[in-house]
Amino acid sequence: MADPQVLERVKKVIGRVLGLDPAEIKPTDHFIFDLGAESSQSVELVMGFEAEFGIEMDQEKALAVQSVEAAADFIAGYLKGR
Amino acid sequence: MSRTDATAACATTREGPAGLEAIFCPKSIAVLGVTNSPGTVPHDIFVNLLDSRFNGVVYPVAPRKRHIAGVRAYDYVLDIPDPVDLAILVFPGNVCEMALKQCVQKGVRGAIIISAGFREVGPEGLAREQRVCAIAAEAGMRVIGPNCLGVINTRPDVRLNASFARAMPAAGKIAFLSQSGALCTAVLDYAAGKNIGFSKFVSLGNKADVDEVDLLRYLAEDPETSVILMYLESISRGRALMQAAREITAAGAGAKPILAIKSGRTAAGAAAARSHTGALAGSAEVADGVFEQSGIIRCRSIEEMFNTAQLLAYQPLPKDDRIAIVTNAGGPGVMATDAAVANGLRLAAFAPATTAKLRKALPAAANIKNPVDVIGDARADRYAAALDAVFADESVDQVLVILTPQSMTDITAIARTICEIRDRYRDSGKALVCSFMGARDVAEGIEILQRHGIPHYILPEWAADAMAHTVRYRRWMNREVTGFRTFEVDRARAAQVIDASPEGYLLETQALEVLAAYGFPVVPWSLATTADEAVAAAEKIGYPVVLRAVSPAVVHKFEMKAVVLNLPDAGAVRDAFGAMRDRLLKTIRAEDLAGILVRRMIPAGKEVILGINRDPIFGHIIMFGLGGIYVEALKDVTFRVVPIRESAAGKMVRELRTLSLLQGVRGEPPSDIPAIEEALLRLSQLAGDFPRIAELDINPLIVHPAGEGCHVADIRIRLAPPG
Repeated sequence: MADPQVLERVKKVIGRVLGLDPAEIKPTDHFIFDLGAESSQSVELVMGFEAEFGIEMDQEKALAVQSVEAAADFIAGYLKGR
Repeated sequence: MSRTDATAACATTREGPAGLEAIFCPKSIAVLGVTNSPGTVPHDIFVNLLDSRFNGVVYPVAPRKRHIAGVRAYDYVLDIPDPVDLAILVFPGNVCEMALKQCVQKGVRGAIIISAGFREVGPEGLAREQRVCAIAAEAGMRVIGPNCLGVINTRPDVRLNASFARAMPAAGKIAFLSQSGALCTAVLDYAAGKNIGFSKFVSLGNKADVDEVDLLRYLAEDPETSVILMYLESISRGRALMQAAREITAAGAGAKPILAIKSGRTAAGAAAARSHTGALAGSAEVADGVFEQSGIIRCRSIEEMFNTAQLLAYQPLPKDDRIAIVTNAGGPGVMATDAAVANGLRLAAFAPATTAKLRKALPAAANIKNPVDVIGDARADRYAAALDAVFADESVDQVLVILTPQSMTDITAIARTICEIRDRYRDSGKALVCSFMGARDVAEGIEILQRHGIPHYILPEWAADAMAHTVRYRRWMNREVTGFRTFEVDRARAAQVIDASPEGYLLETQALEVLAAYGFPVVPWSLATTADEAVAAAEKIGYPVVLRAVSPAVVHKFEMKAVVLNLPDAGAVRDAFGAMRDRLLKTIRAEDLAGILVRRMIPAGKEVILGINRDPIFGHIIMFGLGGIYVEALKDVTFRVVPIRESAAGKMVRELRTLSLLQGVRGEPPSDIPAIEEALLRLSQLAGDFPRIAELDINPLIVHPAGEGCHVADIRIRLAPPG
C-alpha cells in the first residue's frame, strides 16, 4: 500500500505532465495503457518526480516503473533512505 | 530459440490461410496506442489508414485523448461500441500483452503488432513474444509481427494501408513479403519509380505467428495476386515451406510463380562442422538447393527479382526458350544475344515466311535474321513491320525490343506502336519485353510501355536474365515428376553398427560396413593390427593395395599421412605398415589406433564427393560436388533436401560447374554418371533411414568410365547422440 501523501503528490505530477485531472487518476493506472503516456512523456515524468520530491532516481529503474502505485512505492523507497 | 520452438502452438493449430482474411480484408480496425504526435509511428500509422481511404471503420484507441486526427478516440478497445475485425498494436512492446488480452475479450480476429521490444531485444523480449503468441493462439487470433512495418492491401474495395510506409502503392498483381521492414519502404519507393503496383504487401517482422508459409498459402488463393515475392532472412518451417511452394508453383492453371531472396546465414551447424559437407552447407548454398527443389526462383538482388516479377505478372509465360530480338542498334543486339545465350536461351530460327516479310518491309541494309536490326534511322513503321513478322512466327516464344535514341528515332511513337502490337498479339502466348537504352531521352517512351504492362529494362542483359528465369519456371511447371527410387538394402546390418555406436565418428571399418549394407560400391578390405596380418590380408585381397590407419584420432587422413597407396607386394606392405604405425604413434596414443586397414587399390578415375549433413531448418540435406582434397576451395557443390527423387539426382550432377570434366574432355572417356546418380539415391535412402547420421562424407567417390561404375575411396560418418 503506497503512502497516501506520496501518492497524492505523484498524481499531481502525473496530472501536470500528461494534462490530466489528478482526481481522475487511480493508483492502479498504468502510465501508458490507462493514462496514455507517450515515450517522451515517460522521461518528463521521471524528471517531474525528481523535482517534486527533491530526489535523484536511477533512470533505468525509474523508467521501468509502469503504474501510479508502483511509482509512489519506488519514490517512497528513496525518501526512506534519505 | 527458433520461431518454430517458440510458437509451435500457433503454427500447428492454425496452418493455412484461415484467419488471415481478418488481417487483409477487415471491415473495422482498431489502432491501439495511437498518439497525437505527427512523425511518430503510433500517429502516422493511423493517419495512413485514413489517407488510404480504407473501405471500413477505423477506431483510434488512445487513452485519455478525445480524438486523433479528427476521429473520436477510445480509452480501451473494449469501449468501442461495434465489432472489431483487426487490431493494430502500436503501443510499446511491454504494453502489448495487456492490449492483446483486451482484444481477445473484444473478439478481435486478427492483429498486426507493429511494436518492437520482443525477441529482437533478447531473452526478456522473447518471453514476452511467447506470452503474446500464446494469448492469440488460445483465442484463435492470427498475428502478424511483432516488430514489423505492417500490411498493405490495394484491393479497390478494401484499400488498406496498415503500415507506416510513406504512401500507398498502386494496385498490381505482385505480392511482396519481407522480413525486413526497412527494405519494405525502399522497395515501395523503388516500385513506385518503375510504375510497379502490388496486390498485397506484408512486413513479416519476427514471425511470431504468421510466417511465410501461412502467407504463401493465403496468397495462393488470392485472386489479385499472380506472382509472389519474398525477402527472407530466416526460414521458419523448412519442410512446410518446400511443400507449400511446390504446390503453389506447379498447380496447373492456378500456378503462381514464387521469387525469393534469401539473405543471412542460419546454418549454425556449419561453423562447427568437421566434415566437408558440413563446412560447405552454409544457408546460402542450402537455400539454392531448397529453392530448386521447390520451384522457387532464387534472385540475388531486388532488381533481378522485380525484373523477373514484372515479366511473370504481365506477360504470358513463354512456351519455350526461343527468343527474337528486334533492335535499331547492332552493338546492343549483339550484347543481348550474348546475354541470352549465356542464360541458356536460344535465338529463334525464323520461318522462311518471316524472313520474306522482313526482307520486304526493311531496307536492304537491315539484318533480317535474328537478331533483327531495323537500323539506326528506324521509325515506328519499321518496328511495327518487324514485330508483326516475328510475332506471327511459330518458332518465337519471347520477343525483346531494343531501342537506342538517335536524332530521328520517334521514341514515344515507337513505344505506342509496341503497345499496339502487344494488344494485337495478346492471345499469341508470346512474352514481350523492351530495353530502351538511355535515361533522359527515352524516359517518356519507357513510361508509356510500363503503363501498358510491358516490362522495361535499361540493359538488354537484364531483359535476357528475366526471360531466362521465366523459361526455367516454365520447365519447372512442365517437368516430369519422377518417383523416389528405393533399393533392396540390408538395413538391419547397418542398424547393427549405428544403433550400437555412441555419438561421434564411426571407425572407417564401421562406416564401410554401413555403406556395404546399403549397396555402395566398396572394395574388399581387412583390418590388420600387425604387419603379418597386413601381408596376409593383402595376399588374400590381391595387389596392389592401400594401407589406411583406423583411429578415432585421425579424421583427415591425408593431412596426417595416414594413407599409403599403391603397394605392389608383401615387402612393400610390411615396410609401409611399420613406417605408418611408427609415424602415427608419435602423435596419437596406441590405444587410439584400432589397426590399419588393408584395402585393394582403386583404379584412377574422376573424384567426386557425396555428403550428408543435418540442417537445423530442413533436416537431412544431401550434397554432391567435385571431390578430392580441394573440395572446400573449389566449392563446386550442389545441395538438396532428403529424400531426393530420381530426377533430382540427375539435376544435382548436371548443376556442377565442372560437369564437362565428367562428360569427358580432351579425348577422355565420359564418366559413369548413372553410377553417381545411383549412389546419390542410395545415400538419400540411407539418410532417410537413419536420423542419427549427423554428417557423412564420401570423399572421394572415384568414378570410372561409363559402364564401369564407381568406388568409395574414403568415408566418414558422424552420429548424433542416440534418442
